[in-house]
Amino acid sequence: MRLPAEWREFIIGDLEEEFESRAFSSARAARIWFWWQAIRCLVAPPPTRRAVVAPDVTPTRGDSAMQSLVADFRYALRVFARTPSFAIAIVAIFAVGIGANAATFSLVNAVLIRPMPLEEPEQLVRLFTRPPRMAGAPQRFVVSPGKFSSWQQEARSFEGMATYSGQLFTLTGLGSARAVLASTLGAGFFETVRARPALGRDFRPEEDIAGNHRVVILSDRFWRNELGTASDVIGRTLMLNSEPYTIVGVMPASASVSSWGPMSREIWVPLALTAERRTVRDNHTLESIARLKPGVTSAQAQAEMDAVSARLEQAFPNTDTGWGAVVVPLQEAIVGNSRLMLVMVLAAVALVLLIACANVGNLLLARALSRRKEIAIRSALGAGRRRVFQQLLVEALVLSVAGGVLGLSLAYVSLGTVSTLVANQVPRANEITIDARVLLFALAASLITGCLAGTVPALRAGRSDLNDALKEGGRGGAAMGVGTRRALVVCEIALAVVLLAGAVVVVRNLTALRNVDAGFNPTNVLTMNVFLPGARYPPAQRTAFFRTALERLRALPGVESVTFVDNVPLVGGSYQALIPEGYPEVRDLDRMTVQVRQVTPGYLQTMGIQLRRGRDFSESDGEVMLISESAAKLYWGNDDPIGRRAALPFSRSIMREIVGIVGEVRQLSLVSPPMPTAYVYSPSLPAAATFALRTRVDPMSLAQPAVGVIHALDPEQPVQNVRTMEEVRDRTLGAQRFASSLLGMFAAMALLLASIGIYSVLSYIVRGRSREIGIRAALGARAGDIVTLVIVEGLTPTLAGIAVGIVAAVVAARFLDQLVVGLSASDPAALAFVAGALTIVALLASLLPAYRASRLDLVKALRAE
Amino acid sequence: MWFKKQASVLGDFEQLVLLGVLRLEPDGASYGAAIRQEIHAKSGRDVSINAVYTTLDRLESKGLLESWIGEPTRARGGRRRKFYRLRPTGLAALRQAYRAFTGMADGLQGRLEAK
Repeated sequence: MRLPAEWREFIIGDLEEEFESRAFSSARAARIWFWWQAIRCLVAPPPTRRAVVAPDVTPTRGDSAMQSLVADFRYALRVFARTPSFAIAIVAIFAVGIGANAATFSLVNAVLIRPMPLEEPEQLVRLFTRPPRMAGAPQRFVVSPGKFSSWQQEARSFEGMATYSGQLFTLTGLGSARAVLASTLGAGFFETVRARPALGRDFRPEEDIAGNHRVVILSDRFWRNELGTASDVIGRTLMLNSEPYTIVGVMPASASVSSWGPMSREIWVPLALTAERRTVRDNHTLESIARLKPGVTSAQAQAEMDAVSARLEQAFPNTDTGWGAVVVPLQEAIVGNSRLMLVMVLAAVALVLLIACANVGNLLLARALSRRKEIAIRSALGAGRRRVFQQLLVEALVLSVAGGVLGLSLAYVSLGTVSTLVANQVPRANEITIDARVLLFALAASLITGCLAGTVPALRAGRSDLNDALKEGGRGGAAMGVGTRRALVVCEIALAVVLLAGAVVVVRNLTALRNVDAGFNPTNVLTMNVFLPGARYPPAQRTAFFRTALERLRALPGVESVTFVDNVPLVGGSYQALIPEGYPEVRDLDRMTVQVRQVTPGYLQTMGIQLRRGRDFSESDGEVMLISESAAKLYWGNDDPIGRRAALPFSRSIMREIVGIVGEVRQLSLVSPPMPTAYVYSPSLPAAATFALRTRVDPMSLAQPAVGVIHALDPEQPVQNVRTMEEVRDRTLGAQRFASSLLGMFAAMALLLASIGIYSVLSYIVRGRSREIGIRAALGARAGDIVTLVIVEGLTPTLAGIAVGIVAAVVAARFLDQLVVGLSASDPAALAFVAGALTIVALLASLLPAYRASRLDLVKALRAE
Repeated sequence: MWFKKQASVLGDFEQLVLLGVLRLEPDGASYGAAIRQEIHAKSGRDVSINAVYTTLDRLESKGLLESWIGEPTRARGGRRRKFYRLRPTGLAALRQAYRAFTGMADGLQGRLEAK
């Protein structure tokens, strides 16, 4: 606040002069007087000479378009300064709409658009095998060492390729023992990825041979946290699984790629397969990565790999028949099926913005009409319609850009929350930032929404009749533009219907998936992973360890049953062909594969899997097997498998007796159908285990005691992934949960905006028709009649909007159905629900205006003119 | 319109300010602070200096007043005064207001001056 320059001298001079004269009698009183005057002057200073008047509406010949734009811009600012509450309301609506869009886009940007932080990432591809086709079999599978080395010899499309896997090590000798997840890398991995150590060197080819493999490369993170960035680490040793590994290199921080497993690990060691394992073709355990030669596309590489696979089928009929190879760009492999979901969410949030546009358009139109006298005067003074249009559009743009800036800051503030919220649901979520692309997006969104929201009012206002507008006391302006405003509400409601219908379908889909009969009961089950490395626990000790642990876990209070399994349902696992005794061995791998799980007695009870016939395992059993009904049908047809024996491909000599038949379980995911499964029990237990505890109490309350049992046996033994079976299930639904929570939120926003739209239009209409309502009341209409009148007024555009929206939703659903299998967006129940919800919201939004109309002061209303 | 030109209708505070200018003009002291004090002393209204200047400015832009700027004085810390003087239109407007007021008040003195 300050005095205008042209007045400062006279006012301050006057104040000083009078102060001097007053100070004669009392200095204190004079001071009080002086400050009182000064404050009054500052609060309401005299006007500057350039009073607030509209800018030249008729640019003279010399006026450039730019000058008139600047003038419009300044005028817009002054208009908003005069009615800040209006401007604030619109900026807020824009901010929420654009903010939600910017946040969603920054997610899409991080996941789908921004390239991986690797050298020439577009040349990197993942190589998978494609297993023989059978119901529910994965499209992509890991590779066996033998197949991979055939690829390496035959394929010419690649500059380099390498295998990798993961292994949990127990790290000792640096503070307390802890588990370290390492990537085990085949020869040439870093070369293929083009990651170079900052210190030391890469692995040498000869270090990928068992026996020479005790070397380790550290991540920057590990080097900092564990070794305090010591510069002399090269050559020192690290104790992993009680074996000394020599540190040969340290990777720079820039080499860490959090969204891609092998590059996000703390340490790397050579994969170093034994010579025997290198030739295995039918046990698929390794991941692989390759770099395309410059100029080779992944489609070309795929074509070559198809040819290679065909040759390998000829060369290795026993193991390779039916197997193919799949080339997938790395980014696509990581992002996977979240692409579709993200695009869907982006579309939904764009709908919210469109609804916000319609809302703002409505408000702007009301305002433009209330200002139509001003506009008429400008037109009378020679402003063309183009000029009036431009000015109103500039006003809308000023608001939308302000909303965009505010929205972007909202998005920025919420990024941290967003990325933690979606961390387990979307790959690469931790890479979310606001970069130039997001800024550009927000700017574009602001400009487009500004134009969309501003165009209709600007066109409509430019059209109003000069004579009518200038006439003092002409129709109050209230009844003007009602048609346009109703049309905007219809659009708003229709968009809301589409969005809500989508949200309802996605939420229902999620609920349906949660409640799908997966063949097991996930409630009250606690699971945890324990991996006993061979170096510390030879097989005999390992089994003893696990048996003692099972014993002690069973003794915990609140535990109903305990079991041990290599992989719990929904996380996938081993996948083999049974070899039934006394039947010709079938080579038809297309169909004859089952999921194989290694379990202990009590698994059926703990997981709540039904025993159909026969019996469960017992502790006294030798090598025995349970099979699911579909597996029984697959191998034994109509024969009764109970009492017969079968072997597994990797242990052909061991014949396992089938003791019972059990129900089907969805082993891979809730979306894929149940798979034929064989559960194997062998007295000697595998090294990697998941303990599962069925509890009578809240399963998480047993987490501490259960981990305690393991640590009591071996304080240095890491325990991983302590979580309930419900958590396991919800993790597999990450994408669906993400989509449904976001769509739910956006649908709520849409509902809110739609109700604001209906409310504002109705209040406007009621105000404009107050005379008519007054006359009706004077002629004997009761309050109830008037309430009905207003509510009908509100429901008409709502119902029209719902009708349009349902048509649009059905069309959109056609399109969605093709994209998302098993998701029907045109579900009549969902549409009915949405229609009902919107009608109720419209009714609620009409209530206040209706109440106001019924309480209208008759005399005032009739005398208003 | 030009053919029906009438003296402006004055607001009551405008009248006070114009009267203040009229009273102080002969002494050559018709500037902001003096007008403010005159209004305070004669009408009892303690207005702020900026209110006076706002009104003076408006009256000048209506063409009822004209202004000039005096010399810097020591009492004002070397700042100048802005003086005002009535233009014929201003005087006419004031006359009209005065006539209207006295005309309407005629015969009511007894009641208006009673306590």
